[in-house]
Amino acid sequence: MENKMIVPFGSQHITLLEPVRFIFETENEKIVNVDVDVGYVHRGIEKACQTKLNYKQVAYIIPRICGLCAMSHALAYITAVEKILEFDPPKKAKYLRVLVHELDRIHSHLFAMAHVAEAAGYENLVMHLFRDRELAMECLEILTGNRVQYDYGCIGGVNRDLTPEVEKILRKKLKKLEDRIHWFKDLYMNDYTLSLRWKGIGVISKEMAEKYNAAGPVARASGVRTDARAEFDALPYRDLGFEMIVYKDGDIYSRNLVRLDEIFVSLRIIWNILDGLPEGNYKEEVKGLPKGESVCRWEAPRGELFMHVRGDGKQILTRVRVKTPTFSNIPVLRELFVGANYADVPAIITSFDPCMSCTAR
Amino acid sequence: MSAKIKSPWILHYNCGSCNGCDVEILACLGPKYDLERFGIINKGNPKQADIFVVTGPVTKRTRARLLRLYMQIPEPKVVVAVGTCACTGGPFRNMYNVENGVDRFIPVDVYIPGCTARPEAILKGIKKAIEIWKIKTKESIEVPVVIQKEFEETLSKMVLHGQTVDRRKIIHDLVNKYIKNNLEVTKCD
Repeated sequence: MENKMIVPFGSQHITLLEPVRFIFETENEKIVNVDVDVGYVHRGIEKACQTKLNYKQVAYIIPRICGLCAMSHALAYITAVEKILEFDPPKKAKYLRVLVHELDRIHSHLFAMAHVAEAAGYENLVMHLFRDRELAMECLEILTGNRVQYDYGCIGGVNRDLTPEVEKILRKKLKKLEDRIHWFKDLYMNDYTLSLRWKGIGVISKEMAEKYNAAGPVARASGVRTDARAEFDALPYRDLGFEMIVYKDGDIYSRNLVRLDEIFVSLRIIWNILDGLPEGNYKEEVKGLPKGESVCRWEAPRGELFMHVRGDGKQILTRVRVKTPTFSNIPVLRELFVGANYADVPAIITSFDPCMSCTAR
Repeated sequence: MSAKIKSPWILHYNCGSCNGCDVEILACLGPKYDLERFGIINKGNPKQADIFVVTGPVTKRTRARLLRLYMQIPEPKVVVAVGTCACTGGPFRNMYNVENGVDRFIPVDVYIPGCTARPEAILKGIKKAIEIWKIKTKESIEVPVVIQKEFEETLSKMVLHGQTVDRRKIIHDLVNKYIKNNLEVTKCD
């Protein structure tokens, strides 16, 4: 056709938090073809893990892959190394790991929802979400000592204990947060603007999600029952009242609702941890050097994370491989764009909650 | 001029960071820290921006875009490097695809260290940037670090031959040449 037009989107754009480039070929308003380039933020972390840093230092560079899901990366690596060393962390450490991991998920989901609302032009909701996200951030800060890059997990346990004073503050803040999330749920279910902008836009059917191997909230919003938390037993999720959230519609609206409901599940898990935290050590000495190979599957806020670690009995590992959730979601994202309106592009991209620093590493 | 100093708009570019500092910048713009009370709006367009907020170590793919964005911001402009990565390279220093810090390419006015930089620190840094920005004028043209040497050579040559000097044009030409010769990986970088 003659009236085809090429529209570059990125690498720097107001709705994009990080550099990624899409080149859309459009015909009037419809997109007919799209080209994705995700390699802008490649820093070479995997290479550095195999050449420069020893296996204990790697536990502190791996969370720097991504600031939003730092805890997932760190814990996946730590669990994989502990599997090689045949070390079982203390029960209390496991519970504290779940606690921080779920707080991490809460702030990441709230951030993603705020981003989608921003793309829809609903500035008021963005500010509300950001204000209540600060409650989760304050919880993380008082528990771990830092707001975003809190190196809380370490090989052998966790780096800080949960004291009774901190627990008291956590309970107060989480109670407030839970009330606010109920308010958001009410808003998301009943607001006319939100449903008008998001219902029926960017629909992924169940077959499509299965065919292109979608992961995380994107897959669960399309009715695919996949959640690594229900399938692995490195952390005691089964004792803590975990429940999988699945929606059927697969549009932007249900992706948001999946995130919102997962915050409720995370809050329930956190309440259970605070009520029944086991006694004992929070950190134990680990001896030996990693010799052997192991893999670890982990549910990051954006979907399934996969970590492969191999060592041959030396300080420096021979292979560290990370497969991140956004990487799995790129093919379905690309497929979704073909046939969509160009005006929906920012909303669709942000509803996937893409994390390019994870993908390119 | 006095009307202008009430609304310093920022342009935020992530050149390879882990997203940590970026979410903190957005948290700063949120209601708790409220950077917007200084008249700041986060704008995606370099041509409307006054303060350039950069996060992350410069990777080999983003360095050309960083220079281009810097050149497109009108004078006077202030550059703020947020986070240890943007200041020195931080934990990614000397990795094979990383160029160690923003100040290898463009002149930086304010450094905000921290992994991740705390919102309070970002607030203070941006407040400082506004003070620097007030002093700068339209004529205070700064030369990107990468073409400093060539710029001085060209300038002295032109003065020697008695030609009229347009500093802005010389910088633009030299940067375009530099990007074309050294930095371009693909056509759309």
